Amino acid sequence: MLNLFKIEWLKVRTYRTFWVLFLGFLVLFPLAFYFSAYKYMDTFATKGDFQEEMLKRMIDAPFVFPKVWLASSWMGGMFFILLGMLFILLITNEVQYRTHRQNIIDGWSRMDFLKAKFSMLVFFVLVSTLLVFLMGLLVGSIYSSSMSDMFTGIKYLGYFALMATVYLMVAFLIGILVKRTGLSIIIYFAIVCLVDNILWVIFTLKGNPLGYFMPLEVVDSLVPNPFKPKMLEKRTVEDYALIIAAFTYISVYLYMIVSYFKKTDLKT
Amino acid sequence: MSVLTINNLSKNYGGVRALKDVSFTVPEGTVFGILGPNGSGKTTLLGIVMDILKATKGSYSWMDQQHSSNAIRRQIGTLLETPNFYHYLSAEDNLKIAAKIKGKGEEDIPKVLELVNLYQRKDSKFNTYSLGMKQRLAIASTLLGDPNILVFDEPTNGLDPAGIAEIRELIKQLNKAGKTIIMASHILDEVEKVCTHVAIIQQGVLKTVGSVASVMNTSTHDNVTSLIIEVSAADNAALKNVLLQLNGVESIAQGDNDLQLTCNESMTAEQINRFCFDKGIVLGKLNLKRKSLETRFLEITGKQSDR
Repeated sequence: MLNLFKIEWLKVRTYRTFWVLFLGFLVLFPLAFYFSAYKYMDTFATKGDFQEEMLKRMIDAPFVFPKVWLASSWMGGMFFILLGMLFILLITNEVQYRTHRQNIIDGWSRMDFLKAKFSMLVFFVLVSTLLVFLMGLLVGSIYSSSMSDMFTGIKYLGYFALMATVYLMVAFLIGILVKRTGLSIIIYFAIVCLVDNILWVIFTLKGNPLGYFMPLEVVDSLVPNPFKPKMLEKRTVEDYALIIAAFTYISVYLYMIVSYFKKTDLKT
Repeated sequence: MSVLTINNLSKNYGGVRALKDVSFTVPEGTVFGILGPNGSGKTTLLGIVMDILKATKGSYSWMDQQHSSNAIRRQIGTLLETPNFYHYLSAEDNLKIAAKIKGKGEEDIPKVLELVNLYQRKDSKFNTYSLGMKQRLAIASTLLGDPNILVFDEPTNGLDPAGIAEIRELIKQLNKAGKTIIMASHILDEVEKVCTHVAIIQQGVLKTVGSVASVMNTSTHDNVTSLIIEVSAADNAALKNVLLQLNGVESIAQGDNDLQLTCNESMTAEQINRFCFDKGIVLGKLNLKRKSLETRFLEITGKQSDR
C-alpha cells in the first residue's frame, strides 16, 4: 500500500491544481476557524451584560475545551468539500488522460489501481484529522480558562475522520461511475448540498428518524452545528446507530466500486 | 514456444460484434503484424490481451501460462492506441511513474529518452509536446526495463517520414536482438517492410494468418503465378497493339498513364523491352511489379473500405 501511495504521490507532486485545492484546505480552514473564534470570544468579552451572559451559557461557548473539538470538527467538515472535489478530479483525470488504462497496461492489477486511489483517500483523511486536532488544541488553549477536561470531547475527532471517509467514498464512487470531471463535480455538489439535506428535511418534518440515516446526513449528524442552540437539537437516534450506518455505507460503496471496476471495459 | 496464444476470442459492444471467434498464436522471435482496415478490431484484440477490455467469450495466454497475471504485463512494453500520459507532468516524471509500476529502476529513463531523441525535452510538460513527440515518448516508455515482448498499436501514427523510418529501423533492430514484436497497423507498406508474420482481420473476423511469405503465396484466385508489368511509351495505343502480339501477355489493362500487363511468370522485362524495340517502339517506363501484400490484402478483404 505504501508503495502504491508513493506512485500516487509522483502523479500529484508537481500538479498545480492539486496544490491549489490541497493548500486551500490547509490554509483556509485554520484561518476561518481561528478568526471566527477570535470574533466570537471578542464579542462576549466586551459586552458583559446579563442577556448576553445568558445566551453565552445557553450555547455553551463552542471555542473552549472540551466543546472546541466539535467546533473544529464541524468547521473542518465545511472546508473538507475542497478535498472531496480534489479527489474526484484525481480520479476523473485518470480516465480523461486514459492513464488508468496505461497503469494497468504497465502492470498494475485493477485492484492495485483502486488501492492506490484508496491510499490517497487515507492520506487526505489523516492529514485533515491531524489539522482539525491541531486547530482544536490551539484555539482551545487560547480561550479556555481550565484545561481539566480538555480531552472529554475528543471523540469528535473520530467522528470527523469517519465523516471525511464517507465524503471521500461518495466522491470515489461518483468519479469511478461518472468518469467525466465536470459532471462528477456537479453531481457531488448536488448530493452534498441539496439531495441529502432535502431528504433529511422531508423525513424530519414527518418526525421520521430515517432522515438521519441519509448517506451523508448520517455523518453530518455525528458532528452537529455547534452554533445551533441545544433546544433545537431534536435528534433521537443514538451515535452508535449512526456509526454503524456510516460503516455500512462505506462497505457498500467499496463493494460497488470494486465490483464495477474489476469487470468493466476501461474506456474514456 | 508461443509468446501469445489466442483462443476463440469474441467481443461484443452492445449489439456490435467487434471480434468474432479469433484464434491464432504468435511464435517467439517474430515481428507479428495484425493488419486490418480502420475499425476491424485490432485495438479491441490488443486491449483484451492487455486486460483493459474484457472478452465476451474466449481466452488468451501469454508465454503459455494459464493465467495472465500482472507480473507478465510488467515484462511487456505496450503502446496501445494513443500515448497515455499525465498531461501536467514532464516526460521524465511520466516515465518514472511507468518505471515504478513496472517495478524497474529509473536508470533506464535517460537511455530510452535518448533513443527516441527526446532527452533534450525531458523536463517539458507532456501537453507541450507535438503529436509526433508524444508518440515517441510512448515508444520510449515501452522500452523501459528492456522487455522481451513489445506490443505496438499503430507505432508510426503521427510521425514525420524521418520518424517513421527511425521507428521501423528500431523495430527491426529490436527483433534482431531477439525480441518478439506484435504490431497492429492499417498501413500495408509498414507491415510488409517490417513484419515476418501477419494476421489479417476484417470486421472482427480473422481472414488469414501465417508468415508474410506464405500469406503472399496462397491465393484465392488461380492467377497466383502471374506477374504484373507496367509499361508506357509516347503512344500507348500503338504500344498496346504491339504487345497484343507478344506471347505470354495474358491481358492488358489501361492505367492512368500506362498499361498494366498481366503476364505469365516466365515473362521478363528484358523480353518485353527487346520485343517493343524490334517493333520500333521505345519504352518510357518498364516496371516489373512483385505481387505486393497490398494486392493480397485487397484480394482477401475486398476492395471496399469498411467504414
